[in-house]
Amino acid sequence: MRPPDLISRNALAWIIAAQVLLLLPHMFRLPLWIVLLYGAAFFWRLQIYRGRWAVPNRWLKLFLILASMTGIAWSYGSVIGLEPTVALLLVAFALKLLESVARKDGYVVIFLGFFICITEFLFSQDLLVVIYSAVVVWVLTTGLIALHRSAAIDDTGPMRLAAVMLLQALPLMLVLFFLFPRIGPMWNVPIKTQAAKTGVSDMLRPGDISSLAQSSDVAFRASFAGEVPPVSSLYWRGLVMSRIEEGAWRTVSYFDIPPSERRVPPVEKIGESLDYSVIIEPTQQQFLYGLRYAEPRQSGILQLPDFRLLNPVVLEQEFRYRVRSWPAVVLGRDISSWRRRLETQLPEGSNPRTRALAERLYRDTENDAEYVLRVLALFRQQPFRYTLQPPLLDNNSMDQFLLETRAGFCEHYAYAFAVLMRAVGVPARVVSGYQGGEINPVNGTVIVHQFDAHAWNEVWLEDRGWVRVDPTAAVSPARIEFGLENAMEEEGSFLSSSLLSPLRYRGISWINALRLRYDAVTYQWQSWVVGFDGQQQVDVLRGVFGRINAQLFIGVTLASFGAMLGLVAASLFLRRRYAQPRDPALQHIRLLQARLSRSGFDLRPGEGPGAMGRRAADRFPDAADELHAIAHIADAALYRPLGPEQRRKLQRSLRHHVRRLRLRASR
Amino acid sequence: MLIAAINYENNMSYALTFLLATLFVVAVLHTYANLSGLTLQGSTGGSGFPGDALLFSVRLMGGGQSRYALRLRWRDRSLGGGEVQQDVPVNAIIEVQLYARALQRGRFLPGRLLIESSYPLGLLRCWTWVDLGLSGIVYPTPQRHPDVQQSADPGQRGRWRPLPGEDEFFGLRAYRKGDRPRQVYWKGLARGQSLQSKQYSTYATEDDWLDWDSYPGVAAEQRLSYLCYQCLQLHARRQQYGLRLPGLRLNPSTGAAHRDRVLTALALQGSTPE
Repeated sequence: MRPPDLISRNALAWIIAAQVLLLLPHMFRLPLWIVLLYGAAFFWRLQIYRGRWAVPNRWLKLFLILASMTGIAWSYGSVIGLEPTVALLLVAFALKLLESVARKDGYVVIFLGFFICITEFLFSQDLLVVIYSAVVVWVLTTGLIALHRSAAIDDTGPMRLAAVMLLQALPLMLVLFFLFPRIGPMWNVPIKTQAAKTGVSDMLRPGDISSLAQSSDVAFRASFAGEVPPVSSLYWRGLVMSRIEEGAWRTVSYFDIPPSERRVPPVEKIGESLDYSVIIEPTQQQFLYGLRYAEPRQSGILQLPDFRLLNPVVLEQEFRYRVRSWPAVVLGRDISSWRRRLETQLPEGSNPRTRALAERLYRDTENDAEYVLRVLALFRQQPFRYTLQPPLLDNNSMDQFLLETRAGFCEHYAYAFAVLMRAVGVPARVVSGYQGGEINPVNGTVIVHQFDAHAWNEVWLEDRGWVRVDPTAAVSPARIEFGLENAMEEEGSFLSSSLLSPLRYRGISWINALRLRYDAVTYQWQSWVVGFDGQQQVDVLRGVFGRINAQLFIGVTLASFGAMLGLVAASLFLRRRYAQPRDPALQHIRLLQARLSRSGFDLRPGEGPGAMGRRAADRFPDAADELHAIAHIADAALYRPLGPEQRRKLQRSLRHHVRRLRLRASR
Repeated sequence: MLIAAINYENNMSYALTFLLATLFVVAVLHTYANLSGLTLQGSTGGSGFPGDALLFSVRLMGGGQSRYALRLRWRDRSLGGGEVQQDVPVNAIIEVQLYARALQRGRFLPGRLLIESSYPLGLLRCWTWVDLGLSGIVYPTPQRHPDVQQSADPGQRGRWRPLPGEDEFFGLRAYRKGDRPRQVYWKGLARGQSLQSKQYSTYATEDDWLDWDSYPGVAAEQRLSYLCYQCLQLHARRQQYGLRLPGLRLNPSTGAAHRDRVLTALALQGSTPE
């Protein structure tokens, strides 16, 4: 192979740098052995470069590939799914480096690198990740350029050119990004099998939410079209749980609902409505959060008969949805016998003392509403404690909680309340989701964190339908009014396990200001870039052009491409036209050459001005003296080592002589 | 990548895919600019015998811009010579040398030159065919005439003239600085004489003429081959020789320049003068 076809040292360095940068964000998702394999591959490649070790032969390569595949299958339990696929790509990426000697292998490595860059986005599209990836793309492009350039000329050249080219490509990319039609997925793709589900789960057991309350991660951000309602009224319904099984509240599966009950019961929309859009962080689950009663403002989101929202596919990435809510409506004025049976069911023989308590309280009430108030009064009057560290409970957990420990988090109260209702035949269920949120003063969005997770109840009352009751509010009003941090002030348990969370330090004003500002940027990023979808595309285009059709799409694309490429071309080609020789002496000689050539003197390429002048002196005897003088001065001005002052003098003299020269063709 | 972006509905993947696509578009301009405005200048071509690779040099002038990874080769791949890759820095003049295999006596025209570049990304190739008017000279194949015996026997035809050479021992002289060790008369030194150098000489003969008419009845190409052989022989012996061809006469002389003149005349014999 000829030397120009090998990967140069410069290019190799860039490729390795890019590989390291590409590995870093994936590092914590990968088994340790892949990271070690990377290290080994780099070391081996360096040894190949230094001529110490050989390129692995075919059998060793085959062995390495098979061993890595086995390793991945063993580490992940399967080779199907997003994580094993990405791991496989990364391993291929590392091993490809080993056999990359020729330039064409360099292409493969670099394009694989771009692809791996995309896989990172499948895990996170955070602003910081994107900025980081931009750097990686820059390094990869630099590597691609360095592959075609001998390092001898200049070493920073590829870097600068890559930056220039990427910046020139950027505006065009934005045009395509905003104009390219967003069509839905064409087929099912491997999903993240390994990622943990985050946030509220579709099953509620005492202790579930209190463990979630330790997390300061953002669950979702909501931005309201109008004024943000008071925080204490923000009950984000996520899941409605109507069944108790094995001591846990669960949702009713769609297929357990008889067909006649599957439709959303009709709702009379009265009162004011709230328009808002939510950008939810990936949860690996399907349900969406909304204030009651929420209707989606975009297609593709399902409404379930218990008035909650469901996305047809699992949320693997940030997802934006638009909702309209009517907080004042009556939900489910009529209750079917099937639903009444469902919402009053309790496991046989469980919690006998709770049932007895419920019957005693219910005995002399006039209606269900009064009973609800009585139960809430019980929570208020008895020494119940709201705590993030509740004691563990046994099988008849509610008996134990209500009559013995009396210490629990919101899910304990919601659970107990629902059991107390159902024990006397009042339809009741548990709702889980988030309550409250933090209003960002920078942009007015509501940031809902994981520690805002909450569970409350809905009770069905005659003529009033499903009414929200929050027993936690009875025990700890501060939780609802001011949030969890305030409610846990005495206990000191708020975010006690996440020392690094900026939320812990919101007492320090500049950290808090910075945190809120970054959150506002993140929201803009998510809503305009990450969450940009077909709906938004249509809105923007209609806003700008007033109408939408295919010709417009193509026209705008072509026009913007033409304009931008024109600018790039102008910068590339005009720059050169104006490049002049900088040495004044050279300019005078050019002038002389032009005059000589007009007078019929043939110029010889590569001839120095001295030799040319002497030759011209033979050709033009009349001006011989002058030409000899010019030859002498020109040689001196160009080549003799002189101080700047003397050189300028010679240049002036040269100009003088060239101007005075009169050529007359003789012979 | 676009498929991944569509299927995962991942906007950043869209963005990166489009960025690469537009990078490709921008690269079109950069690749073109890398070649555009480049000045090529062919200088005189080389000369040689049929089957030799003739040397051609081409000057590249980039002007106020650096050019990278320019590749040059003959359009006609049968000429061989492979490919030359060259960078041209700002305001530099770079000379690139290309070889072409010539087969036939006469003026050799290698034809158009391909100059191409896929810099900066290697995804696109920008190329052009340039005709630099390059030409080379191919001499006749040297062939010994079967009737001419090993005319290399100098004793019969020449007379001694002390011309510096290496053929025959001529005498001794005092050692001069710069004489080669082989030349030093070591035996004399061993015998206690002063340091002396051996002198060799070659001999010059009467002027020889390479004459078209000395091979009557032989085909023209064959005659030229015989003359070519003679010329080389005479040159190797440092003899003076002249050339007589129909319509051309070169006076006797010696030296490489004279030999080249003679060979060129033989090469171009019969072709239309330019």
